[in-house]
Formats: sequence, structure tokens, C-alpha cells
Amino acid sequence: MAVKKKFPYRSAVVACNGGCRATAGDAGCKDGCIGCGACVKKCKFGAISLNQYGVAEVDEEKCIGCGACGKVCPQKIIHVHECANWIVVKCSNKSKGAEAKKQCEVSCIGCGICEKTCTAGAIRVMENCAVLEESICLSCGMCAVKCPRHAIYDLRGIYTAKE
Amino acid sequence: MAVFTVNGQQVEAKKNQKLLRFLRDELHLTSVKDGCSEGACGACTVIIDGRTCKACVPDTDLLDGRNIITVEGLTDWEERVYTYAYGKAGAVQCGFCIPGMVMCTKALLDVNKEPTDEEIKYALRNNYCRCTGYVKIIDAVRIAAKVMQEGILPEEMNNDWHIGSRVARIDVGEKVLGTGKYPDDFYLEGMLYGSALRSKYPRARVLSIDKSKALELPGVEAVVTAEDIPGENKIGHLKHDQYTLIPVGGLTHYLGDAIALVAAKDKETADKAVKLIKVEYEVLPHVYTIEKAAAKDAPKVFDEEENNICAYKHISRGNATEAIEKSKYVISHHFETPWSEHAFLEPECAVSFYDEDGDVFVYSTDQSAHQTLHECSLVLGTDKVKVQNALVGGGFGGKEDMTVQHLSALLTYVTKKPVKMKLTRAESLLVHPKRHPFYMDMTMGCDENGNIMGVKAKVASDTGAFASLGGPVLERACTHAAGPYHYENFEIEGTAYYTNNPPAGAFRGFGVTQTCFATETLLNMMADKVGITPWEIRYRNAIRPWETLPNGQIVDDSTGLVETLEAVKPKYDAALAEGKAVGIGCAMKNAGVGVGIPDTGRVKLIYEEDRKLHIYSGASCIGQGLGTVLTQMIVSNTDVKREDIVYERSNTWISPDSGTTSGSRQTLVTGEACRRACEKLMEDKKAGLTVEDMIGKVYYAEYLAKTDPLGANVPNPVSHVAYGYATQVCILDSQNGRIEEIVAAHDVGKAVNPLSCEGQIEGGVVMSMGFALREKYPIDENCKPISKYGSLGLFRAHEIPKIDAIVIDKPGLKVACGAIGIGEITSIPTAPAIADAYFRRDGVRRYSLPLTGTPYERKG
Repeated sequence: MAVKKKFPYRSAVVACNGGCRATAGDAGCKDGCIGCGACVKKCKFGAISLNQYGVAEVDEEKCIGCGACGKVCPQKIIHVHECANWIVVKCSNKSKGAEAKKQCEVSCIGCGICEKTCTAGAIRVMENCAVLEESICLSCGMCAVKCPRHAIYDLRGIYTAKE
Repeated sequence: MAVFTVNGQQVEAKKNQKLLRFLRDELHLTSVKDGCSEGACGACTVIIDGRTCKACVPDTDLLDGRNIITVEGLTDWEERVYTYAYGKAGAVQCGFCIPGMVMCTKALLDVNKEPTDEEIKYALRNNYCRCTGYVKIIDAVRIAAKVMQEGILPEEMNNDWHIGSRVARIDVGEKVLGTGKYPDDFYLEGMLYGSALRSKYPRARVLSIDKSKALELPGVEAVVTAEDIPGENKIGHLKHDQYTLIPVGGLTHYLGDAIALVAAKDKETADKAVKLIKVEYEVLPHVYTIEKAAAKDAPKVFDEEENNICAYKHISRGNATEAIEKSKYVISHHFETPWSEHAFLEPECAVSFYDEDGDVFVYSTDQSAHQTLHECSLVLGTDKVKVQNALVGGGFGGKEDMTVQHLSALLTYVTKKPVKMKLTRAESLLVHPKRHPFYMDMTMGCDENGNIMGVKAKVASDTGAFASLGGPVLERACTHAAGPYHYENFEIEGTAYYTNNPPAGAFRGFGVTQTCFATETLLNMMADKVGITPWEIRYRNAIRPWETLPNGQIVDDSTGLVETLEAVKPKYDAALAEGKAVGIGCAMKNAGVGVGIPDTGRVKLIYEEDRKLHIYSGASCIGQGLGTVLTQMIVSNTDVKREDIVYERSNTWISPDSGTTSGSRQTLVTGEACRRACEKLMEDKKAGLTVEDMIGKVYYAEYLAKTDPLGANVPNPVSHVAYGYATQVCILDSQNGRIEEIVAAHDVGKAVNPLSCEGQIEGGVVMSMGFALREKYPIDENCKPISKYGSLGLFRAHEIPKIDAIVIDKPGLKVACGAIGIGEITSIPTAPAIADAYFRRDGVRRYSLPLTGTPYERKG
């Protein structure tokens, strides 16, 4: 579907990387993607699919940032962001550290290293999970490099693997 | 261990380290600048697999198989295109951010041949520039895109180097390609690295220092404390109250006070050793506000002083009290302005070593090599010191005081080895003097037509832990609080207090930025009372040639305030007619130190063996473009061609002391000395001497900018040899409430290089947009500054509005070919103009900065 995009480009991002692989049942995370596919069905542009871990993933090339997926997500973990902000938190786990660690391989445990590292004061731990304020972020990726849980991603695939 | 490609060569990083350290320390690719090492500034931007990355972020182990490009890896064609584009646009000032910006430009143009302005801004927006306001860097990218598309470099651009010509600066090449050296770019054989232990408490007595553990650490060459200082411990620009190292028994004054220094084989070892030094303190109550400093029972910041008053000024002419009493309209209000940080891109760094003459030689980045020489000599107790300015990556007043130069020199003195002493960005934020926060209470009286009858004010500033230039800043704040208007009755009382906060000193505007906010805001309020526009009230009161300023000085033909008002009028009126919110502010700023203080410019012109004319002047170019100004002056005043002129960076053994780069003075004061040296040179040329005859001959001239002291017993004292004038207008976007445009008209006398003038204006405006709208340098109750570089609130490339920089060429000044310095005034009237625009939008008067309730405000 050819839709002309307007700069600055926007795209949906799913704040879950499927560390519990969306299938761990009761042992898994309560806050992340459950792989229900509602967003996949909703997207008219074929921009979302379930990835190898069974969680939704957005193809920024195809996404126009309309936000329809976010509205149908039962977990409320999809939001629209500016693509130029390539550093994103891909986790929504609100459990406390130890529990979050048990639930998922790549969960944010709210340790706050990112918050201490961030020069811009753009990332904060709220309800045990890192939240990034994109309007302030300088996209340096220091948080992504320092995150011990690999919960923060460089969508360009330079500092962190693409998936 | 990782193997990756850098500029086409395969390299191996054996030790895991930050890419920045590997590129600089091992490969010596010094175009990759270290501005913060915390991911904020962008000066270390490189391209990794086609994407811009800040080299201070990734560890080398993460980069196996990657392809990395730095400025050194540009093709010959790219080098020529970017040098041309950045020069043509006037995008280069201090140059420290430029290699990073060039990388952003390349990464963009490699994938997008015809970027829109929005796309260009986004490509640059993660990189800070503190000099240019981004306007001309954006222009440079646009020009580069065009040249890349066309595939042909335009023929030699502008060959006319006379005054008034928009030539590309002389230092564009070395700054774009990263070959020019800042002190940090020197890597000397056997060089040690210095690090300082700083006080744990803002105010405490040092009871003992145990350095034994630090000395035991392998790789540590020296641990130096106050007792090792051969000369004076206390230094300072004017008042000697800045301790080099706090001695045992001494009092600490702020968290930046150094207690001990370490020199070690590398920075890591030095930092480690610093942590091993044990200091016993007696913690004492500290002073962290003006109120607390002024309280009767306040703890004293200095043992040596009677109280916490650093400076007091009282200036009065006419009878302000009586004039205000008789005025039809009177308005009084309290105003406050905050601390602000210079945030120059290059952190303080010095490299020192013993040269072949047995002198301690210091490469420095500062605003006066001679001042550094004086203060290092004091500390070392010898005049066997040489100082050479390297490139200076921005100053804005923040590099006037000693921060690392004397410490580096001291470590070289003790170890006899080369030493590099560099502040981390966090140290830089803590250590160098800031812009003073001010409390101001001001009253203005006007007649029924809006003519100012009198102004009376009382101001107080927090000058922090040592005097620095707290006295002169207070004085300038007071003298200029009157504004550029023709009235007679003015009285102001000002006090600068010591506290245990970081020191405050010079910062672009030198106190005037603060009091101008109060004066201009009152005038805007007054216009409403009188029922005329804020433009009209200024036009009525504006100082005109041969009128008398409130300080008693009669101004000359070069006075161009009215012209600046007239220049902004079309846009001002048009915006009003469209119903937009518009604010306005005017300012005046001295060029030259003034008020009777000896202020001398000195220049030597020497034909050397290369048959070129070399310019030697002990005047720092801190990014403003002094070398280009002097070159244009020589071309205009002699028959020497641009290609036969070499500008030498300031040093202390050939270049004569030409004063500090401060008070917008170098273009005028050093410029006039240069013009006089040109006259002498031309006398010889006219007498028939050839270049061969003149080789080795020194053409020396000086210019004393003579002024009267404050309170001089003469009817019309000359406080300053020249003033620049400006009017700035802020127009808001009716929809989103953001700034749509700032119109900035500046009277600069004769513009030596209008392109550079515009660059100064744009940079000053954007800097003060930060001051007005967002920048903060919060200090907590323990006197600890809590911001990092990235959270200061500096404006980014995609956030800047349109800036219409209008350079008003109004000759008339009898010296320096009519040129008046423009460095500081560019950032003075911005804040009141913006504040008034927001008042016009929402009806809320704001009396403190940064302004609240704007779309730029950052909550929390």
C-alpha cells in the first residue's frame, strides 16, 4: 500500500520484546505482548507481524503511524513515536525487579542504570519500568549500551541486535 | 577483542574500551572530538555502517565487523565540498562541533541527495553547537547538497578580502577537516595525565591529607598538595582569592575546590589514585543563597574576609528619587534571573611540558594566553613560563579564569614531564565560573508621553566561591541597567555576595543580560500604561548621536540605536497587523573594558622568511573569528594580499599582550592596534622598501582605549570608547505559541565581515532563547549543580525559529576602521523581547527566567 509519508516520519512501536516468548503462561509477564494478533489484523498496511518469539513487531518502512494498532491492543503497549528517535524501550513489565527477572529474559527490572546514565534526563523508571521521553532524548544510545537486561533497543541495529 | 574497519583500514581493538578512546588515544584520529563522553554533545560523531553514532557510546567489543568512518576518512572530493560549503555558509566559529556536524552532513547526503530543511535539521539535531545557533550549519548542508548534486565545485568563491566582504574565515579548512589542534589533540611522548581530588563538602576545614595509598598505586608519578606549590597558592584575575589547592587547615569554598592533584601514566590510573587520597574534614555550615550570605550571623565563605560581600557599587547621576516622585507614571517590580552555564563545546584542557629553554610551556584553551602566563607564573613562582593558545572550542566568558592551566603547569613543574590536564564534562560544569544569578528591584518613572524621567534600582548577585570577575560584572550590570536611552536621573545600588556555590564570573553580556531583562520589561509595561506601542516608547527615548546617556557620556556619530529600531519596524508592524503576539527589546553594550581601566591592544606584524606577513597579537580567538578580522583589516589598510598573510595564534613570547577576549573588545581594540601597525608598514613600503628588505623587521603598534573612571569628576565622562546598539523583536506563531521568528537588528559600526556578524547574531540569539525559555543550572541545597550537559536545556537544531539577522553598517567611529565589537550584545535584548511576546499572547507578565508557561518549558 503506497501511502505518502510526511516528515518527520512516525511509526508504531511495540514495547515488548517477547523475552518470555509470550507463551510462558502464568510464569510469564503480565504486562507484555500476549501475541493475540489483534494489531496484526487491524493494520491495513501489513506493517505488523508476530515475530519469531510470538510478539508483535512493526515494520517501520510500512507503518504510517496512524495508531490504529495501539487502540486495539488489549495490553496497551503499542504507541506511536518518531522514527528519528531510534532508541526505544521494548518492555512494559511493571513487576518488581526480582519477579520481572524471573518472568522474562529481557525484561526491564527497574534498576535505574539508564536513568543515571542519561545525560538528557530523558529516561525515567516509572512503575518499575523505564519510560523514554522522546522530545528530550538525544538518541545517543548510552542507555541501550548500558542496559544489563537488553530491554532498550537501537532500532537501527547498531548498538543492539535488530531483534 | 574486536576487528573492524576504520576509514578503509582494518584495525584491531585489543582492549575493550569506548570507541572514542580507541579512535583518539590509539589511532590518533583527533577530528573525533571529546566534548562530554556522556552521549550529549555530538562532537565525537562518526559514521558506523552508514549511520551517525556518538563514538563515546559503544564499546569496541560491540563493533566487530563494523565499518567506521571519521572525517579523516572523507574522500578528497568530500573534503573539498564540505570545506567549501561550511566556509561559504559561514558555519564555522569555534569549530569544535564541526567534524561531528560534517559527519551528520555526510550521513544525510549519502542517502538523501535533496534533503528538505526539516530533514537537514533532524540530521543535525542530536549534535549541539553553542556558537552558531545552527542557522549557518543548516545553510552549509544545503550548499553541500547542491554542490554534490552538480558535481562541480564553484570557482574560487570570494577573493575580495577587504573590510565589508563576506569572505569565508581563514580557519575553515582546519576546523572542517579536524586537523586544527585544540589542547586535547596533543599527544606528547611520555605524557602523563592529571586528575584532581575535589572537595567533598562545599564548606569544610581540611584537617589532614593522606596521600600514601595513592602514591603506592603503580603508574602514579606524583601526588601534589598545597605544600608542593612553589609560588602563590591564591590566584585570580583581579582579586587573588582563588585557591589552587586547599591546604591543610584551610577552608573549602565550593565542591570544585581542588585539594590534591595526581599525575599518572594514564587517565584511568590518575582517577583511581584520586580516590585513594584520604582527606579528613571538619564539616561546617555552608552558604547557598544570597539571603543566607547576607544574613547577620552568616558563616563566612572566606576566613580572610569580614563578611560575604564580594563587591558593592553605588552609581548615581541626577536625582532619581525626585524625578520618579514627580513622574506621572511609576512602575516598580522585582525580577530574578537564574544561573546559567556557558556550555562551550570543548571542555577545559591544558597540556604542559618543559621546552628546550627550560621553561614550562603550556598549550591552553583560554581567553588570554598572557593572563594564563601571569597566573601560572604566580603559582610556580617563576616567570620561566610560556603559553601558547591552541584552538579554543568556545569560551563565552567561561574560559577567562584558570581552571586547568595552572594545575597542568604545576604537575609538569613537579614531575618534569609532559602533562595533560583535562576536565571531564561534569567537572567543567562544576568548576568554571557561571553567569551570575541576579535579584533586581527596579522602579521607573515616565511622563505622560512615555519619556523616561528616572530609574532607580537595587540589585544583588550571587558570585559564588571566589571573586572571578564578580566585581566588574556587577559594575557593568549597574552601569548598563539604565538602558540605551536619553534621560538624566539614574541611581543603582548593587551587591555581589560570596556563597559556597560554584563561582560566577564573565558570561556573554557581562551582567547586562540580567539587568536588561528588568529594564526592558519595565519599559514594555510602561508603554501599556502610556498607551503607546513598546516600539514607540523606545523610539521616543532612544539615544541619538550627540545626546547624553544616563551615565553622562555624550555619544558620537556612530550611535545607531534608532537605525536598529527602524530596521525592525516593517516586520514588527506587519506582525501586529496580523494579530500576532510580538515582543521587543533594545540593548546597548560597551566594546572595550572602559571605565578608566587600562585597556590596550597590541599587534606585531612581521615579514618572515617565507615572505609572508605574520600577525602576532596576544589576543585569543575563541571562535569569534579574530584572525579573519585582522586579515581583512590588513588587506584594507596595506597592499598585502590575503594569501601573503599568516595569522598566528596568540602566544606569550612573540605576541604582545593585547588583553583578554572579553567585553566585545578584540575587533575594536586589537583591530585599531592592527590598523596602526599597518600604517607603519605602509610607511616603509612607500619609502620603497621591498619585502626582502622588510624580512625580520617588526611593525609594532598599540592602542590605548582611554576612558574615564566611574564617578570621574568631569561633566561628561567617557565610560567606554564605543557602544554597540541593538533591537530584537520576537514574533510568536499564533497557532502553536512557539517562536516563529526573531528579528535582530544590530548596529556594529562598520561590519568587517557581515557573514561573521550574522553568525554572531544568530548564535547569540539562540543562546539567549535558551536563557529566556529553558536553560537551567540548578544547584541543590548542598551547593551541588545537578544538571548534566544534555539536561541544561540548550536549544537543538530542529527547535530554532527563523532568525532574521540584520547587520546595520553605520560608520562613524574614529578607530578600528569604524568597527564595534558585537560578541555580547547579540544575546542581551533577546530575553525581554521573548518575555513581552508571551505577555502579548496570554496576558501573563513574567518577572523571572526561564519563562514559565511557554511551549518550551520542561516540567520536572
